[in-house]
Amino acid sequence: MSGNFEHLHGNHACALAAVAAGCRFFAGYPITPSSEIAERMSKELPKVDGTFIQMEDEMGSLAAVIGASLGGVKAMTATSGPGFSLKQENLGYASLAEVPCVIVNVSRGGPSTGMPTRPAQSDIMQSRWGSHGDHPVIVITPDSVAEIYNETIRAFDLSEKFRVPVVLMFDQVIGHLQETVEVSDARKLKTIERKWAKGDKDGFEPYAATKDAVPPMARPGDGKRAHTTGLTHAESGFPTQDTEIVARNMNRLLSKLEINKKEIEKYECVETGDAEYLIVTIGISARAARRAVKTLRRKGVKAGLFRPITLWPFPEEAFRQAAAGAKAVLVPEMNAGQLVLEIERLGSDDCHVAGLNKIDGEPIVPAEIVAKLEELAR
Amino acid sequence: MELTEVRFAGSGGQGLILCARILFRALSLEGKTAARSQGYEPTSRGGFCFSDVVAGDDELDYPLATALDFLLAMDQVGVAPSRSLLKKGALVVADQRLTPQPPTGNVELYRTPLTDQAIALGNIRVANIIGLGLMCGLGGICGKESLAKAIEGETPRNFLDLNLEALEAGFAAVGELEAA
Repeated sequence: MSGNFEHLHGNHACALAAVAAGCRFFAGYPITPSSEIAERMSKELPKVDGTFIQMEDEMGSLAAVIGASLGGVKAMTATSGPGFSLKQENLGYASLAEVPCVIVNVSRGGPSTGMPTRPAQSDIMQSRWGSHGDHPVIVITPDSVAEIYNETIRAFDLSEKFRVPVVLMFDQVIGHLQETVEVSDARKLKTIERKWAKGDKDGFEPYAATKDAVPPMARPGDGKRAHTTGLTHAESGFPTQDTEIVARNMNRLLSKLEINKKEIEKYECVETGDAEYLIVTIGISARAARRAVKTLRRKGVKAGLFRPITLWPFPEEAFRQAAAGAKAVLVPEMNAGQLVLEIERLGSDDCHVAGLNKIDGEPIVPAEIVAKLEELAR
Repeated sequence: MELTEVRFAGSGGQGLILCARILFRALSLEGKTAARSQGYEPTSRGGFCFSDVVAGDDELDYPLATALDFLLAMDQVGVAPSRSLLKKGALVVADQRLTPQPPTGNVELYRTPLTDQAIALGNIRVANIIGLGLMCGLGGICGKESLAKAIEGETPRNFLDLNLEALEAGFAAVGELEAA
């Protein structure tokens, strides 16, 4: 094997990739099963003159991350279910104020404090709709330790490029999984830097419309006037409730991900070309689905897997294409039925959509997917 | 190498995750593709704890254990949640003192005084490494040299000699054992 291979724990892979991506600020509050990310960041950041802060709680953590990012630094926080709930208010703030930041949610059983050490995938809808108000957010869901590494880097790139909070979400199994990963040489890694405002500081508007709907940001210290608020604002950054200005600015904000969706969407198709039975799932359930597809194919069932890597915005067109010839779509997920709602929304009328749900704190195993799909195929 | 699935199960704090980390590293040193998973209860000590290593020659589609070839049961609490995962004919090593009711039936069971052997070596905490050595010796999961190298990478330097001694003791116990 060439390259630099390391035997990494999922959460450690996330921390190392963040540093490789240029993250130099981490604020967090420890919570199982995400704590190893904070722990590793506390060791890695001082080596690169970065800053690690254990804050008083989860709300303060994301607030500190937003502050660091406004100061021009790539910043991240990590948490799990209960902490993710607490971060929703500031996630909305980062969405509206367009502050790049990466929020990791290593998901565990809920609701409330739930099952701290057991996996779940029950934050799928919360990750998209958890904060109040219409807001843009990107959610990425890796299914292996190697993908945690690579997608953490991509999370920073997308967040910086589109000035949007990016949620990196994986279940406890993947977070605590150890696999062999090829790690990047940070010096050779090409990462995306934020679009900084150039030109005259007179007349600069921090939220001016652009072709890609991403306004250039005032670099701290450049002398350009910038005002940041959680209130709905005009191009100037100052609050307004003028209907015309509000509509214009909100439409731009909400169009950002749609305009740039080609760059944001990412998915994997396994044997979908001739698939009559399509499985759609994420995280550890997708690893089970990989094995299930092999088993089913051996049994003569034309099964395939569509795996959204960018979960939100959901890769709609790619899914529709993968499902084009499918008689049925199965959505295995460790919750009471969340992703299945999106698939039902997107599926055609003549395609049967079924769920396979598990909420007992144990991962879905390949045999369960095989059995359910064989039942659908009968 | 056929896909091989190994579980270390017992009570939180017995070094089960460390054992699995050592095996993961040793198998990787031997060129295998491996994945290690783990689970524990929300208690600082005690409660069911396990760590599984799945290894083969090819890329691992599913990284979790579905049919265990090997089980090291260090405590009774590790038995019930692992029983249904045991493959027919699986090799089970169980600590005699802490696992009074090991899995029986379609398994090759070895009951052995790992804890007592560790106390004899001077530290009860190396019972896990003795068990690791014994199970690898009995089952040929991976070589002693790879395990020794992995122990060097995974354990504190102050305990290196003791851990290596425990590994030796585990391999040495292979010949002395008879299937229960």
